[in-house]
Amino acid sequence: MNPDELDIRCPRLGSSVSFGYCRSCGDGTSPCFKIFDCWWERFDVVAYFKERLPEEEFMQLAGTRPKPKVLSLLEIIEQARRNTAGGGND
Amino acid sequence: MKPKAILLPAAEMPRQWYNILADIKLNPPLGPDGKPISPDMLAPVFPMNIIEQEVSTQRWIDIPEPVLDVYSIWRPSPLIRATTLEKVLDTPARIYYKNEGCSPPGSHKPNTAVAQAYYNKQFGIERITTETGAGQWGSALSFACAQFGLECKVYMVRVSFEQKPYRKTMMEVWGGKCIPSPSSETKAGRDALARDPNTPGSLGIAISEAVEAAVSDTTGKTRYSLGSVLNHVMLHQTIIGLEVKKQLAMAGEYPDIVIACAGGGSNFAGLAFPFVLDKINGKEIEIYPVEPQACPSMTRGLFIYDYGDTARYTPLLAMHSLGHMFVPPPIHAGGLRYHGMAPAVSQLIEEGLVTPKTVNQLACYEAGSLFAKTEGFIPAPETTHALAQTIAEARLAKEEGKEKVIVVNFSGHGLLDLAAYEQYMAGGLKDVFLSDEKIAELKDAIKSQPVPEQLKSMRK
Repeated sequence: MNPDELDIRCPRLGSSVSFGYCRSCGDGTSPCFKIFDCWWERFDVVAYFKERLPEEEFMQLAGTRPKPKVLSLLEIIEQARRNTAGGGND
Repeated sequence: MKPKAILLPAAEMPRQWYNILADIKLNPPLGPDGKPISPDMLAPVFPMNIIEQEVSTQRWIDIPEPVLDVYSIWRPSPLIRATTLEKVLDTPARIYYKNEGCSPPGSHKPNTAVAQAYYNKQFGIERITTETGAGQWGSALSFACAQFGLECKVYMVRVSFEQKPYRKTMMEVWGGKCIPSPSSETKAGRDALARDPNTPGSLGIAISEAVEAAVSDTTGKTRYSLGSVLNHVMLHQTIIGLEVKKQLAMAGEYPDIVIACAGGGSNFAGLAFPFVLDKINGKEIEIYPVEPQACPSMTRGLFIYDYGDTARYTPLLAMHSLGHMFVPPPIHAGGLRYHGMAPAVSQLIEEGLVTPKTVNQLACYEAGSLFAKTEGFIPAPETTHALAQTIAEARLAKEEGKEKVIVVNFSGHGLLDLAAYEQYMAGGLKDVFLSDEKIAELKDAIKSQPVPEQLKSMRK
Protein backbone atom coordinates (compact mmCIF):
# COMPACT_ATOMS: atom_id res chain seq x y z
CA MET A 1 0.00 0.00 0.00
CA ASN A 2 1.27 3.46 -0.88
CA PRO A 3 -0.09 5.86 1.76
CA ASP A 4 0.31 8.80 -0.59
CA GLU A 5 -2.57 7.38 -2.59
CA LEU A 6 -4.92 7.62 0.39
CA ASP A 7 -7.25 10.54 1.07
CA ILE A 8 -8.80 11.58 4.36
CA ARG A 9 -10.98 14.38 5.63
CA CYS A 10 -8.84 16.96 7.37
CA PRO A 11 -10.64 18.07 10.55
CA ARG A 12 -8.81 21.38 10.57
CA LEU A 13 -9.53 22.30 6.97
CA GLY A 14 -12.83 20.51 6.63
CA SER A 15 -11.97 19.12 3.23
CA SER A 16 -10.31 16.08 1.75
CA VAL A 17 -6.52 15.89 1.63
CA SER A 18 -4.00 13.27 0.64
CA PHE A 19 -1.47 11.73 3.00
CA GLY A 20 1.13 13.52 0.92
CA TYR A 21 -0.40 16.83 1.93
CA CYS A 22 -0.32 15.91 5.61
CA ARG A 23 3.34 14.92 5.27
CA SER A 24 4.36 18.41 4.20
CA CYS A 25 1.82 20.96 5.35
CA GLY A 26 3.32 21.67 8.74
CA ASP A 27 5.67 24.34 7.46
CA GLY A 28 5.83 23.38 3.82
CA THR A 29 8.26 20.57 4.43
CA SER A 30 7.45 18.88 7.75
CA PRO A 31 4.36 16.86 8.70
CA CYS A 32 1.20 18.30 10.22
CA PHE A 33 1.18 18.08 14.02
CA LYS A 34 -2.04 16.06 13.83
CA ILE A 35 -0.77 13.50 11.33
CA PHE A 36 -0.76 10.63 13.85
CA ASP A 37 -4.23 11.58 15.06
CA CYS A 38 -5.78 11.55 11.68
CA TRP A 39 -4.11 8.58 10.07
CA TRP A 40 -3.73 6.02 12.85
CA GLU A 41 -6.98 4.34 11.95
CA ARG A 42 -5.97 3.95 8.32
CA PHE A 43 -2.48 2.44 8.55
CA ASP A 44 0.53 2.24 10.90
CA VAL A 45 1.54 5.85 10.44
CA VAL A 46 3.92 5.75 13.41
CA ALA A 47 5.94 2.91 11.93
CA TYR A 48 5.95 4.81 8.64
CA PHE A 49 7.66 7.82 10.20
CA LYS A 50 9.91 5.79 12.48
CA GLU A 51 11.35 4.17 9.39
CA ARG A 52 11.86 7.45 7.56
CA LEU A 53 12.80 10.09 10.12
CA PRO A 54 15.96 10.39 12.21
CA GLU A 55 15.15 9.66 15.84
CA GLU A 56 15.45 13.32 16.87
CA GLU A 57 13.01 14.46 14.18
CA PHE A 58 10.64 11.66 15.03
CA MET A 59 10.74 12.62 18.71
CA GLN A 60 10.07 16.22 17.76
CA LEU A 61 7.08 15.28 15.62
CA ALA A 62 5.77 12.98 18.32
CA GLY A 63 6.05 15.66 20.97
CA THR A 64 4.62 18.58 19.02
CA ARG A 65 1.31 19.98 20.16
CA PRO A 66 -0.76 22.95 19.06
CA LYS A 67 0.04 26.07 21.01
CA PRO A 68 -2.75 27.83 22.87
CA LYS A 69 -4.46 30.20 20.48
CA VAL A 70 -3.54 33.39 22.31
CA LEU A 71 0.13 32.47 22.30
CA SER A 72 0.21 31.54 18.65
CA LEU A 73 -1.68 34.71 17.75
CA LEU A 74 0.89 36.83 19.57
CA GLU A 75 3.65 35.14 17.61
CA ILE A 76 1.85 35.70 14.33
CA ILE A 77 1.23 39.35 15.19
CA GLU A 78 4.91 39.83 15.90
CA GLN A 79 5.84 38.14 12.64
CA ALA A 80 3.32 40.29 10.75
CA ARG A 81 4.82 43.42 12.26
CA ARG A 82 8.27 42.35 11.11
CA ASN A 83 6.90 41.57 7.65
CA THR A 84 5.19 44.96 7.46
CA ALA A 85 8.35 46.72 8.56
CA GLY A 86 10.21 44.94 5.81
CA GLY A 87 12.27 42.84 8.13
CA GLY A 88 10.48 39.56 7.80
CA ASN A 89 12.64 36.52 7.93
CA ASP A 90 10.27 33.69 7.13
CA MET B 1 -49.46 14.69 13.37
CA LYS B 2 -47.50 15.03 16.56
CA PRO B 3 -45.17 18.10 16.60
CA LYS B 4 -41.48 17.28 16.80
CA ALA B 5 -40.07 20.80 17.02
CA ILE B 6 -40.20 23.05 20.06
CA LEU B 7 -40.27 26.56 18.67
CA LEU B 8 -39.39 29.37 21.02
CA PRO B 9 -41.36 32.53 20.25
CA ALA B 10 -39.18 35.32 18.86
CA ALA B 11 -40.02 37.52 21.82
CA GLU B 12 -38.53 34.87 24.11
CA MET B 13 -35.09 34.91 22.49
CA PRO B 14 -32.47 35.40 25.24
CA ARG B 15 -31.34 39.01 25.63
CA GLN B 16 -28.05 38.21 27.38
CA TRP B 17 -25.14 35.84 26.86
CA TYR B 18 -23.79 33.80 29.76
CA ASN B 19 -20.14 34.33 30.64
CA ILE B 20 -18.68 31.29 32.37
CA LEU B 21 -15.60 33.25 33.45
CA ALA B 22 -17.80 34.66 36.22
CA ASP B 23 -18.10 31.19 37.71
CA ILE B 24 -14.79 29.46 37.12
CA LYS B 25 -11.21 30.35 37.84
CA LEU B 26 -8.48 29.77 35.31
CA ASN B 27 -4.76 29.41 35.63
CA PRO B 28 -3.52 32.10 33.25
CA PRO B 29 -1.25 31.25 30.32
CA LEU B 30 2.33 32.01 31.28
CA GLY B 31 4.79 33.68 28.97
CA PRO B 32 8.41 32.60 28.56
CA ASP B 33 9.25 34.94 31.44
CA GLY B 34 6.83 33.12 33.70
CA LYS B 35 4.44 36.06 33.88
CA PRO B 36 0.80 35.96 32.74
CA ILE B 37 0.13 37.12 29.21
CA SER B 38 -1.89 40.32 28.92
CA PRO B 39 -4.90 40.30 26.56
CA ASP B 40 -4.04 43.91 25.63
CA MET B 41 -1.28 42.43 23.53
CA LEU B 42 -4.02 41.35 21.13
CA ALA B 43 -5.06 44.96 20.39
CA PRO B 44 -3.41 44.97 16.94
CA VAL B 45 -5.89 42.34 15.75
CA PHE B 46 -9.03 42.78 17.86
CA PRO B 47 -11.05 45.91 18.73
CA MET B 48 -10.98 46.86 22.40
CA ASN B 49 -14.67 46.14 22.94
CA ILE B 50 -14.04 42.51 22.00
CA ILE B 51 -10.88 42.35 24.11
CA GLU B 52 -12.94 43.62 27.04
CA GLN B 53 -15.33 40.73 26.51
CA GLU B 54 -12.41 38.33 26.24
CA VAL B 55 -11.36 39.13 29.80
CA SER B 56 -14.71 40.08 31.32
CA THR B 57 -15.90 38.26 34.42
CA GLN B 58 -19.38 39.77 34.30
CA ARG B 59 -21.81 36.85 34.42
CA TRP B 60 -24.50 38.17 32.08
CA ILE B 61 -23.66 40.37 29.10
CA ASP B 62 -26.39 42.13 27.15
CA ILE B 63 -26.80 41.13 23.52
CA PRO B 64 -26.96 44.37 21.52
CA GLU B 65 -30.27 45.01 19.78
CA PRO B 66 -28.69 45.08 16.26
CA VAL B 67 -27.20 41.64 16.94
CA LEU B 68 -30.60 40.33 18.03
CA ASP B 69 -32.07 41.77 14.83
CA VAL B 70 -29.69 39.67 12.74
CA TYR B 71 -30.05 36.61 14.97
CA SER B 72 -33.80 36.82 14.34
CA ILE B 73 -33.21 35.73 10.72
CA TRP B 74 -32.86 32.15 11.99
CA ARG B 75 -33.12 32.31 15.76
CA PRO B 76 -34.52 31.03 17.97
CA SER B 77 -33.42 27.84 16.28
CA PRO B 78 -35.66 24.81 16.71
CA LEU B 79 -35.17 22.17 19.38
CA ILE B 80 -36.41 18.96 17.80
CA ARG B 81 -37.41 15.67 19.41
CA ALA B 82 -35.68 12.89 17.50
CA THR B 83 -38.67 10.57 17.69
CA THR B 84 -37.77 8.48 14.64
CA LEU B 85 -34.24 7.91 15.88
CA GLU B 86 -35.64 6.96 19.29
CA LYS B 87 -37.96 4.46 17.66
CA VAL B 88 -35.21 2.84 15.60
CA LEU B 89 -33.01 2.59 18.69
CA ASP B 90 -35.97 1.27 20.69
CA THR B 91 -34.81 3.39 23.57
CA PRO B 92 -36.74 4.80 26.51
CA ALA B 93 -34.53 7.91 26.24
CA ARG B 94 -36.04 11.12 24.93
CA ILE B 95 -33.56 12.68 22.52
CA TYR B 96 -33.67 16.34 21.58
CA TYR B 97 -31.35 17.99 19.08
CA LYS B 98 -30.75 21.72 18.78
CA ASN B 99 -30.63 22.48 15.08
CA GLU B 100 -27.92 25.07 14.51
CA GLY B 101 -27.71 23.95 10.88
CA CYS B 102 -30.61 26.23 9.97
CA SER B 103 -28.55 29.43 9.98
CA PRO B 104 -27.85 31.00 6.58
CA PRO B 105 -24.31 29.55 6.39
CA GLY B 106 -25.54 26.24 7.82
CA SER B 107 -23.78 26.05 11.19
CA HIS B 108 -23.49 27.59 14.66
CA LYS B 109 -20.62 29.81 13.51
CA PRO B 110 -22.67 32.96 12.78
CA ASN B 111 -23.66 33.22 16.45
CA THR B 112 -20.24 34.76 17.05
CA ALA B 113 -19.59 36.06 13.53
CA VAL B 114 -22.58 38.39 13.79
CA ALA B 115 -21.57 39.62 17.22
CA GLN B 116 -17.96 40.18 16.18
CA ALA B 117 -19.00 42.05 13.04
CA TYR B 118 -21.24 44.29 15.14
CA TYR B 119 -18.55 45.11 17.72
CA ASN B 120 -16.01 45.83 15.00
CA LYS B 121 -18.48 48.17 13.33
CA GLN B 122 -19.11 49.92 16.65
CA PHE B 123 -15.38 50.38 17.10
CA GLY B 124 -15.12 52.11 13.73
CA ILE B 125 -13.60 49.20 11.85
CA GLU B 126 -14.41 49.05 8.15
CA ARG B 127 -12.99 45.69 7.09
CA ILE B 128 -12.32 42.33 8.72
CA THR B 129 -9.86 39.69 7.67
CA THR B 130 -9.86 36.03 8.57
CA GLU B 131 -8.64 32.65 7.42
CA THR B 132 -10.74 29.65 6.60
CA GLY B 133 -10.17 26.03 5.74
CA ALA B 134 -13.07 24.62 3.80
CA GLY B 135 -15.01 27.84 4.21
CA GLN B 136 -17.47 27.25 7.05
CA TRP B 137 -16.10 30.10 9.14
CA GLY B 138 -15.32 32.28 6.14
CA SER B 139 -18.86 32.03 4.89
CA ALA B 140 -20.28 32.77 8.35
CA LEU B 141 -18.14 35.90 8.66
CA SER B 142 -18.97 37.02 5.11
CA PHE B 143 -22.65 36.71 5.92
CA ALA B 144 -22.20 38.66 9.17
CA CYS B 145 -20.15 41.44 7.56
CA ALA B 146 -22.82 41.87 4.90
CA GLN B 147 -25.36 42.47 7.62
CA PHE B 148 -23.34 45.37 9.04
CA GLY B 149 -21.89 46.84 5.85
CA LEU B 150 -18.32 45.72 6.52
CA GLU B 151 -15.79 44.52 4.00
CA CYS B 152 -14.69 40.94 4.56
CA LYS B 153 -11.52 39.41 3.21
CA VAL B 154 -11.10 35.66 3.66
CA TYR B 155 -7.84 33.84 3.04
CA MET B 156 -8.92 30.33 2.12
CA VAL B 157 -6.34 27.53 2.12
CA ARG B 158 -5.71 26.81 -1.56
CA VAL B 159 -6.27 23.05 -1.38
CA SER B 160 -9.76 23.71 0.01
CA PHE B 161 -10.34 26.68 -2.29
CA GLU B 162 -9.96 24.35 -5.25
CA GLN B 163 -12.10 21.60 -3.70
CA LYS B 164 -14.96 23.69 -2.33
CA PRO B 165 -16.04 26.13 -5.01
CA TYR B 166 -19.50 26.46 -3.50
CA ARG B 167 -18.15 27.80 -0.21
CA LYS B 168 -16.16 30.41 -2.14
CA THR B 169 -19.30 31.32 -4.06
CA MET B 170 -21.29 31.63 -0.84
CA MET B 171 -18.75 34.09 0.52
CA GLU B 172 -18.81 36.11 -2.66
CA VAL B 173 -22.61 36.18 -2.86
CA TRP B 174 -22.52 37.77 0.60
CA GLY B 175 -19.97 40.29 -0.65
CA GLY B 176 -16.88 38.74 0.92
CA LYS B 177 -13.62 38.61 -0.96
CA CYS B 178 -12.26 35.06 -0.94
CA ILE B 179 -8.60 34.73 -1.82
CA PRO B 180 -6.72 31.46 -2.21
CA SER B 181 -3.83 31.28 0.24
CA PRO B 182 -0.90 31.63 -0.19
CA SER B 183 -1.53 34.83 -2.12
CA SER B 184 0.73 37.53 -3.45
CA GLU B 185 -1.03 40.10 -1.26
CA THR B 186 1.09 39.58 1.84
CA LYS B 187 4.73 38.94 2.59
CA ALA B 188 3.77 35.73 4.36
CA GLY B 189 2.02 34.57 1.21
CA ARG B 190 4.75 35.70 -1.14
CA ASP B 191 7.38 33.91 0.94
CA ALA B 192 5.37 30.70 0.81
CA LEU B 193 4.94 31.00 -2.94
CA ALA B 194 8.65 31.67 -3.35
CA ARG B 195 9.40 28.42 -1.51
CA ASP B 196 6.94 26.50 -3.67
CA PRO B 197 4.84 28.20 -6.38
CA ASN B 198 2.52 25.18 -6.44
CA THR B 199 2.01 24.92 -2.70
CA PRO B 200 -1.48 23.82 -1.66
CA GLY B 201 -1.26 26.16 1.32
CA SER B 202 -1.95 25.55 4.99
CA LEU B 203 -3.98 27.03 7.80
CA GLY B 204 -0.79 28.40 9.32
CA ILE B 205 0.01 30.39 6.20
CA ALA B 206 -3.61 31.56 5.83
CA ILE B 207 -3.69 32.82 9.44
CA SER B 208 -0.41 34.63 8.90
CA GLU B 209 -1.83 36.31 5.80
CA ALA B 210 -5.05 37.36 7.52
CA VAL B 211 -3.22 38.77 10.53
CA GLU B 212 -0.67 40.54 8.36
CA ALA B 213 -3.46 42.11 6.29
CA ALA B 214 -4.98 43.51 9.49
CA VAL B 215 -1.75 44.63 11.13
CA SER B 216 -0.38 46.27 7.98
CA ASP B 217 -3.36 48.56 7.40
CA THR B 218 -1.97 51.91 8.51
CA THR B 219 -5.43 53.50 8.60
CA GLY B 220 -6.28 51.33 11.61
CA LYS B 221 -9.60 50.41 10.01
CA THR B 222 -8.89 46.68 9.62
CA ARG B 223 -9.08 43.98 12.25
CA TYR B 224 -8.86 40.19 12.31
CA SER B 225 -11.56 37.78 13.46
CA LEU B 226 -11.33 34.30 14.94
CA GLY B 227 -14.20 31.84 15.03
CA SER B 228 -13.19 29.44 17.79
CA VAL B 229 -11.30 28.80 21.04
CA LEU B 230 -11.25 32.31 22.58
CA ASN B 231 -13.47 33.31 25.49
CA HIS B 232 -15.55 35.88 23.61
CA VAL B 233 -16.36 33.31 20.92
CA MET B 234 -17.67 30.86 23.49
CA LEU B 235 -19.62 33.67 25.16
CA HIS B 236 -21.48 34.51 21.96
CA GLN B 237 -22.34 30.87 21.40
CA THR B 238 -24.12 30.51 24.74
CA ILE B 239 -27.34 31.70 23.16
CA ILE B 240 -27.65 28.08 22.00
CA GLY B 241 -27.89 26.60 25.48
CA LEU B 242 -29.91 29.50 26.85
CA GLU B 243 -32.54 28.92 24.17
CA VAL B 244 -32.51 25.19 24.85
CA LYS B 245 -33.25 25.74 28.53
CA LYS B 246 -36.32 27.79 27.65
CA GLN B 247 -37.45 25.29 25.03
CA LEU B 248 -37.11 22.34 27.38
CA ALA B 249 -39.07 24.25 29.99
CA MET B 250 -41.86 24.66 27.42
CA ALA B 251 -41.91 20.86 27.11
CA GLY B 252 -41.69 20.33 30.85
CA GLU B 253 -38.30 18.67 30.51
CA TYR B 254 -34.81 19.05 31.93
CA PRO B 255 -31.85 17.11 30.52
CA ASP B 256 -30.09 14.27 32.26
CA ILE B 257 -27.31 14.46 29.67
CA VAL B 258 -26.03 17.29 27.46
CA ILE B 259 -23.74 16.39 24.55
CA ALA B 260 -21.75 18.37 21.99
CA CYS B 261 -18.63 17.78 19.96
CA ALA B 262 -15.48 19.47 21.23
CA GLY B 263 -13.24 20.39 18.35
CA GLY B 264 -12.50 24.08 18.67
CA GLY B 265 -14.79 24.10 21.68
CA SER B 266 -17.27 26.77 20.68
CA ASN B 267 -20.31 24.66 19.86
CA PHE B 268 -19.73 22.61 23.00
CA ALA B 269 -19.44 25.79 25.03
CA GLY B 270 -22.53 27.23 23.38
CA LEU B 271 -24.81 24.39 24.40
CA ALA B 272 -23.09 23.30 27.59
CA PHE B 273 -21.97 26.38 29.51
CA PRO B 274 -25.49 27.47 30.56
CA PHE B 275 -26.01 23.94 31.92
CA VAL B 276 -22.61 24.04 33.63
CA LEU B 277 -23.97 27.03 35.52
CA ASP B 278 -26.90 24.88 36.66
CA LYS B 279 -24.49 22.15 37.72
CA ILE B 280 -22.43 24.64 39.70
CA ASN B 281 -25.68 25.57 41.41
CA GLY B 282 -26.38 21.98 42.36
CA LYS B 283 -28.31 20.45 39.46
CA GLU B 284 -27.77 16.77 38.73
CA ILE B 285 -26.72 16.68 35.09
CA GLU B 286 -24.06 14.98 32.98
CA ILE B 287 -22.28 17.14 30.41
CA TYR B 288 -20.21 15.42 27.74
CA PRO B 289 -17.77 17.09 25.35
CA VAL B 290 -17.00 14.55 22.66
CA GLU B 291 -13.77 14.31 20.72
CA PRO B 292 -12.35 11.80 18.24
CA GLN B 293 -10.92 8.72 19.86
CA ALA B 294 -7.63 9.52 18.24
CA CYS B 295 -7.28 12.43 20.67
CA PRO B 296 -8.21 11.26 24.16
CA SER B 297 -6.33 14.09 25.85
CA MET B 298 -9.28 15.15 27.92
CA THR B 299 -10.07 11.72 29.21
CA ARG B 300 -6.71 10.28 30.07
CA GLY B 301 -4.18 13.06 30.63
CA LEU B 302 -2.92 14.69 33.79
CA PHE B 303 -3.68 18.30 34.68
CA ILE B 304 -0.24 19.83 34.90
CA TYR B 305 1.84 22.73 33.79
CA ASP B 306 3.45 21.51 30.62
CA TYR B 307 5.70 22.76 27.87
CA GLY B 308 4.42 22.97 24.32
CA ASP B 309 7.36 21.23 22.72
CA THR B 310 10.14 18.78 23.36
CA ALA B 311 12.75 21.55 23.41
CA ARG B 312 10.87 23.33 26.21
CA TYR B 313 10.94 26.65 24.36
CA THR B 314 7.24 27.39 24.64
CA PRO B 315 5.62 28.71 27.83
CA LEU B 316 4.29 26.53 30.60
CA LEU B 317 0.52 26.19 30.36
CA ALA B 318 -2.00 24.58 32.60
CA MET B 319 -3.56 21.86 30.51
CA HIS B 320 -4.40 18.22 30.32
CA SER B 321 -1.34 16.52 29.02
CA LEU B 322 0.61 13.36 28.76
CA GLY B 323 3.80 15.33 28.81
CA HIS B 324 6.09 16.96 26.31
CA MET B 325 8.35 13.94 25.99
CA PHE B 326 5.52 11.62 25.12
CA VAL B 327 6.22 9.47 22.09
CA PRO B 328 3.28 7.55 20.74
CA PRO B 329 3.77 3.82 20.70
CA PRO B 330 3.39 1.98 17.41
CA ILE B 331 -0.13 1.02 16.34
CA HIS B 332 -1.82 3.04 19.05
CA ALA B 333 0.01 6.24 18.28
CA GLY B 334 -2.79 8.50 17.20
CA GLY B 335 -4.68 8.08 20.41
CA LEU B 336 -2.64 10.60 22.29
CA ARG B 337 -1.20 12.94 19.73
CA TYR B 338 -3.45 15.94 20.22
CA HIS B 339 -3.00 16.18 23.95
CA GLY B 340 -3.63 19.86 24.65
CA MET B 341 -7.02 21.29 25.49
CA ALA B 342 -8.52 24.77 25.78
CA PRO B 343 -7.85 26.04 29.30
CA ALA B 344 -11.52 26.73 30.11
CA VAL B 345 -12.53 23.21 29.12
CA SER B 346 -9.55 21.73 30.95
CA GLN B 347 -10.67 23.59 34.05
CA LEU B 348 -14.23 22.29 33.78
CA ILE B 349 -12.89 18.76 33.40
CA GLU B 350 -10.54 19.20 36.32
CA GLU B 351 -13.42 20.31 38.51
CA GLY B 352 -15.57 17.40 37.40
CA LEU B 353 -18.17 19.70 35.91
CA VAL B 354 -17.95 18.08 32.47
CA THR B 355 -16.96 14.55 31.55
CA PRO B 356 -15.18 14.11 28.23
CA LYS B 357 -16.00 11.22 25.97
CA THR B 358 -14.32 9.87 22.89
CA VAL B 359 -15.74 8.17 19.82
CA ASN B 360 -14.08 6.48 16.89
CA GLN B 361 -14.41 7.40 13.22
CA LEU B 362 -16.51 4.41 12.33
CA ALA B 363 -19.07 5.07 15.04
CA CYS B 364 -19.26 8.72 13.96
CA TYR B 365 -20.16 8.00 10.37
CA GLU B 366 -22.51 5.20 11.37
CA ALA B 367 -24.25 7.69 13.64
CA GLY B 368 -24.34 10.37 10.97
CA SER B 369 -25.84 7.99 8.46
CA LEU B 370 -28.41 6.66 10.93
CA PHE B 371 -29.39 10.18 11.92
CA ALA B 372 -29.83 11.19 8.27
CA LYS B 373 -31.95 8.12 7.56
CA THR B 374 -34.18 8.73 10.57
CA GLU B 375 -34.31 12.47 11.23
CA GLY B 376 -33.54 13.59 7.70
CA PHE B 377 -30.77 16.12 8.22
CA ILE B 378 -27.30 15.13 7.04
CA PRO B 379 -24.93 16.21 9.82
CA ALA B 380 -21.56 17.86 9.33
CA PRO B 381 -18.73 15.39 10.03
CA GLU B 382 -17.80 17.06 13.33
CA THR B 383 -21.45 16.94 14.41
CA THR B 384 -21.43 13.16 14.00
CA HIS B 385 -19.15 12.88 17.04
CA ALA B 386 -21.89 14.25 19.26
CA LEU B 387 -24.50 12.09 17.58
CA ALA B 388 -22.41 8.94 18.06
CA GLN B 389 -22.21 9.61 21.80
CA THR B 390 -25.92 10.39 21.87
CA ILE B 391 -26.74 7.06 20.29
CA ALA B 392 -24.42 5.28 22.72
CA GLU B 393 -26.19 6.94 25.65
CA ALA B 394 -29.62 6.10 24.23
CA ARG B 395 -28.58 2.45 23.94
CA LEU B 396 -27.27 2.52 27.51
CA ALA B 397 -30.59 3.96 28.66
CA LYS B 398 -32.28 0.99 27.04
CA GLU B 399 -29.98 -1.45 28.82
CA GLU B 400 -30.62 0.30 32.10
CA GLY B 401 -34.33 0.77 31.43
CA LYS B 402 -34.09 4.48 32.25
CA GLU B 403 -36.08 7.29 30.66
CA LYS B 404 -33.19 9.70 30.28
CA VAL B 405 -33.53 13.07 28.56
CA ILE B 406 -30.62 13.64 26.21
CA VAL B 407 -29.91 16.96 24.49
CA VAL B 408 -27.37 17.14 21.67
CA ASN B 409 -26.09 20.04 19.64
CA PHE B 410 -26.65 19.53 15.91
CA SER B 411 -23.94 22.07 15.16
CA GLY B 412 -24.22 22.12 11.39
CA HIS B 413 -25.40 20.35 8.29
CA GLY B 414 -23.05 18.38 6.06
CA LEU B 415 -24.40 19.25 2.64
CA LEU B 416 -21.02 20.60 1.56
CA ASP B 417 -19.12 17.74 3.20
CA LEU B 418 -20.46 14.82 1.27
CA ALA B 419 -17.02 13.59 0.25
CA ALA B 420 -16.51 12.52 3.86
CA TYR B 421 -19.59 10.32 3.65
CA GLU B 422 -18.39 8.89 0.35
CA GLN B 423 -15.17 7.80 2.07
CA TYR B 424 -17.10 6.19 4.88
CA MET B 425 -19.36 4.32 2.48
CA ALA B 426 -16.29 3.11 0.60
CA GLY B 427 -15.18 1.40 3.84
CA GLY B 428 -11.73 0.95 5.29
CA LEU B 429 -12.08 2.32 8.83
CA LYS B 430 -10.99 0.35 11.86
CA ASP B 431 -10.93 0.88 15.62
CA VAL B 432 -7.81 0.84 17.79
CA PHE B 433 -7.47 1.53 21.50
CA LEU B 434 -4.59 2.55 23.79
CA SER B 435 -4.18 0.26 26.78
CA ASP B 436 -4.64 1.51 30.35
CA GLU B 437 -1.23 0.04 31.18
CA LYS B 438 0.42 2.21 28.57
CA ILE B 439 -1.43 5.30 29.83
CA ALA B 440 -0.23 4.59 33.37
CA GLU B 441 3.32 4.23 32.10
CA LEU B 442 3.14 7.60 30.34
CA LYS B 443 1.67 9.36 33.34
CA ASP B 444 4.42 7.97 35.53
CA ALA B 445 7.00 9.47 33.18
CA ILE B 446 5.80 13.04 33.79
CA LYS B 447 4.83 12.92 37.45
CA SER B 448 7.73 15.20 38.44
CA GLN B 449 6.44 18.17 36.43
CA PRO B 450 4.86 21.15 38.25
CA VAL B 451 1.17 20.90 39.02
CA PRO B 452 -1.11 23.95 38.71
CA GLU B 453 -3.11 25.15 41.68
CA GLN B 454 -6.29 23.09 41.87
CA LEU B 455 -8.72 25.98 41.51
CA LYS B 456 -12.35 25.45 42.34
CA SER B 457 -15.20 27.57 41.07
CA MET B 458 -17.77 29.18 43.30
CA ARG B 459 -20.40 26.66 44.28
CA LYS B 460 -23.75 27.41 45.74
